[in-house]
Amino acid sequence: MFSYYIQLGLRSLRRNPVLTALMVLGIGLGIAASMTTLTVMHLMGSDPIPWKSDKLHAVQLDNWDVNNPYYDDGRPPDQVTYRDAQALMAAGKADKQAAMWKIALPIQPENPEVKPFNSLGRVTYSDFFSMFEPPFAYGGPWDHKQDAEHARVIVLTKDTNEKLFGGQNSVGKSVRMNGVDYTVLGVLGNWKLRARYYDLTNGAFADPEEFFMPFTTAIDLKQRGSGNNSCWKSPADGWDAYLDSDCIWMQMWVQLDSPERLAEYKSFLDNYVNEQKKLGRFPRPLNNRLLDVNAWMKDQRVVSRDVEVQTGLGFAFLAVCLVNTIGLLLAKFTRKAGEVGLRRALGASRREVFMQFLVESGVVGLSGGLVGLLLTGLGLLAVRALYSSYKSVATLDLSMVLTTIALAVISAVLAGLYPTWRACRVQPAAQLKV
Amino acid sequence: MEFRPILSALMRSKVAMILIGLQVALTLAIVCNALFIIGQRLDHMARPSGVDEQNTFWFGSNGFGQGYNAKVVQQSDVALLRQLPGVADAAPTNSVPMSDGGWSTGLMLQPHQKKSTADSAIYLVDDHAISTFGLKLVAGRNFKPEEIKSLDFGDRLLPQVAIITKAVADKMFPDGNAVGKQVYFDLDPPTTTIIGVVERMQQPWMSSETVENSTLVPAFMPYGNSTRYLIRADPGKRDELMKLVEQKLTEANPSRIIGKMHSIADVRNDAYAEDRAMAIILGVVIFCLLTITALGIVGMASFWVAQRTRQIGTRRALGATKFDILRYFQTENFIITTLGLIGGGILAYAFSLYLMSAYQAPRLPWYYVPVGFVCLWLLGQLAVLGPALRASRVPPAVATRSV
Amino acid sequence: MLVMKHLQKVYRTHLIETHALRDFSIQVGEGEFVAVTGPSGSGKTTFLNIAGLLEEFTGGEYWLDNVDVRGMDDNDRSKLRNEKLGFIFQTFNLIPDLNLFDNVDVPLRYRRFNAAERKHRIEEALTRVGLASRQKHYPAELSGGQQQRVAIARALAGSPRVLLADEPTGNLDSLMARGVMELLEEINRQGTTIIMVTHDPELAARAHRNVHIIDGQVTDFDDEPKLVQRNARDDNHVALA
Repeated sequence: MFSYYIQLGLRSLRRNPVLTALMVLGIGLGIAASMTTLTVMHLMGSDPIPWKSDKLHAVQLDNWDVNNPYYDDGRPPDQVTYRDAQALMAAGKADKQAAMWKIALPIQPENPEVKPFNSLGRVTYSDFFSMFEPPFAYGGPWDHKQDAEHARVIVLTKDTNEKLFGGQNSVGKSVRMNGVDYTVLGVLGNWKLRARYYDLTNGAFADPEEFFMPFTTAIDLKQRGSGNNSCWKSPADGWDAYLDSDCIWMQMWVQLDSPERLAEYKSFLDNYVNEQKKLGRFPRPLNNRLLDVNAWMKDQRVVSRDVEVQTGLGFAFLAVCLVNTIGLLLAKFTRKAGEVGLRRALGASRREVFMQFLVESGVVGLSGGLVGLLLTGLGLLAVRALYSSYKSVATLDLSMVLTTIALAVISAVLAGLYPTWRACRVQPAAQLKV
Repeated sequence: MEFRPILSALMRSKVAMILIGLQVALTLAIVCNALFIIGQRLDHMARPSGVDEQNTFWFGSNGFGQGYNAKVVQQSDVALLRQLPGVADAAPTNSVPMSDGGWSTGLMLQPHQKKSTADSAIYLVDDHAISTFGLKLVAGRNFKPEEIKSLDFGDRLLPQVAIITKAVADKMFPDGNAVGKQVYFDLDPPTTTIIGVVERMQQPWMSSETVENSTLVPAFMPYGNSTRYLIRADPGKRDELMKLVEQKLTEANPSRIIGKMHSIADVRNDAYAEDRAMAIILGVVIFCLLTITALGIVGMASFWVAQRTRQIGTRRALGATKFDILRYFQTENFIITTLGLIGGGILAYAFSLYLMSAYQAPRLPWYYVPVGFVCLWLLGQLAVLGPALRASRVPPAVATRSV
Repeated sequence: MLVMKHLQKVYRTHLIETHALRDFSIQVGEGEFVAVTGPSGSGKTTFLNIAGLLEEFTGGEYWLDNVDVRGMDDNDRSKLRNEKLGFIFQTFNLIPDLNLFDNVDVPLRYRRFNAAERKHRIEEALTRVGLASRQKHYPAELSGGQQQRVAIARALAGSPRVLLADEPTGNLDSLMARGVMELLEEINRQGTTIIMVTHDPELAARAHRNVHIIDGQVTDFDDEPKLVQRNARDDNHVALA
């Protein structure tokens, strides 16, 4: 019976090609608008590490100016000072912990064919790798001992290894950066993060890192970070004064494996800040926060307001398209009142007529969905062209393809419900009289 | 003409009317707010930077290896650059307007002030900056070469003299005449003397609320081994000069990386990429929305004409002229559109209130809705014209045709 | 009142020519009640459409109330229809979305009467057909006979010179048909010329004069109208519920 309905639906759609095209295009455009924006929003805001996002926490301490909060709404700063990062690393009270910052260093390749180039890197502790779980193609991360030894070691990302060593296993080889040699310990595999959630201060969608280096080693270089640095009062002159200052330029992450551990760490932080207050630091009221990955992404507005507004608009547009489709289906089905009367007179039950028309709506929806999918693809290409940094989030995966089709069919069937119901109210006799 | 009978006939087939009305209402609400957002973005993008954007470009130089002395390199680079043919002027700087990266500080009028009087971007430059950026000095004087201090990165910034923009001057010295006044860069003295005011120079951050608050500080201060330069080319020479500059500087000192050349025009493009994208996306949505709504009206009106062929014939038989029939459908559309627009007007303000509360957006100015009314009236009348003309061509003899 | 001389109507498609009326002549005097009969396809409806200015003719002359309608443009024909003619259709052709008042109002609107005049005429017309009390009802709430009475009221409201009726009882049962027929006779007695197309001989017999059309031509053309003085029969006006 179902295939008979599909047959009827297709035939009926072929009969009024203009009206059908109008409906399919309407649904297609509505679906494309909503799915394009939804895809971007969904991928931007989606949990980057769902299996442990509730265990990873960004540490926020409020060391800011007593008269002027860091954020106007009173939230604590998004980064920490070297001093505090150092103290928290030394205390080691979390299950895992990693302070980090962004650095830029020139790489001088051994291969004379490759010109020296600037590279962006991340300076961090060995726990970083077990916390954020990047995959390794060769070798592995450095260990705690090497952290302590200020070892001149390095982990390369896939692209950098490609550039320097042609993608070969480069573990044990050395890389010269700004006149200093570092031994390669590991090379990452394919690690495509949509949003670099562990350093949102310097841009969730900014260019990715090219290498990782121990924190302790980098401090020895007296090389400042290349990311954001904020001070509420000027530090005294010189490197040591800078390290000792209340300038914030580091991200601090901890892994806490259970709610109890989270509570313990929270009270540890409060104690730490209270101790610091005795030394004359932290003039503002106690304002520590430990947000998990998803809360942190929300707090730092990874999904921009523009994207949210666009998504809202996309769905409002879909609503208009659906209202449009309801109208057109109503028009179409009303014109078929005679056919309904005839079918009813020939013994079709109300239910069967209902199914027939609903299937026809579904066929419209399916066609609209396919058109919509195509347009969504184009829409995402357009988004990538318009926002050069959104490449990682403007892609269509299988689940989004299925969602698109499902959304289209469901929308069309919902839109068809009322017209179908109206069509079914036709009395068998009424239309056959004259 | 026959308003009331058309309206009462419409009330008998409410659903169709509600569908078109709802579509018109949503369209009005979305279009008004989207247009308003587009307008804001365009205004945002139209703000002048105060800089000669056509002829300027900037780039960074990153030295490496032991024995690289950025301060020495900076001095010789600047001297070299100013001699290159096609260079109108060149200056070292730490940042450029609209580039989204830079340095800012709070300026104060008193020692140990609790809140700074004006937050300002800091441009570390020399006496060629005003000429190179193409700024307009409106009061006081330029830096003298002997006023440019050589600092190490990490040194506190306590300049003896500074040039501020008019925006900073107006904020700090509202009664005018900032030249010669003292400002605090830090909590304690020494203070800095304002020696000049430039008309306009934007900060690097386009979302800043005080985007024209900038201060020029006379200092050579490389950031580690990296230095940055701004160059103003002779008109039309910018692009060829970029290649020459890269080549000459690399030759002068190979122990460094000359970064990408960024024209300020490109910097502006990048700075407003999101605004532009938003404006384009909203524009496309508005276009699609109006198209869909117009097609929806065409579709529904065609259906109504087809459904009412006999009725039209009867009206013709009873004495309606073709024009009467045309006007019937135009009037009917006008009534439906108007009802939709009334709802849409309310919805537009509701959307605006939501955007205000959720995104701190400004209030939708009142005139957007009446302008939207007129546009959608026109759209409706145009959309229904085709079907209405078809209706007017229904022959009166249809009335006597047997079913 | 209505004079057609040597009228011709040819329908052309790219393949064939059909002569719907050929050399068709008829004269209807003021106050007459003429029944036009003929088998289906004979040209009855074509005659009615041309007489009602719904269609143009291809040759001959047609004078309506001393106006030569040859070559008139569409607007003038509409105006003439509106002022001089009243229509009664087999399928009533009431507008379902308008109540009785508004239905009768339709031709008056096109006549550009003012509101008071229209109201007066509508009420008078509905009173004449015995439906004055049901102004606010919609056509679907009425029986077929009542609907046709509304159509008659609509035709009368503009005080036409000629009433054109196309099988006015064709969609009615015999009881209702009788009521409608009696109403038409009543209207004719009050001075309105009526031309009625029908295939019902019984109905035709009640007209003053019968015109029989076969193959687009009048076969039984009596140029001298027989102004029959009708007997006062017991056709008291009965409104059928």
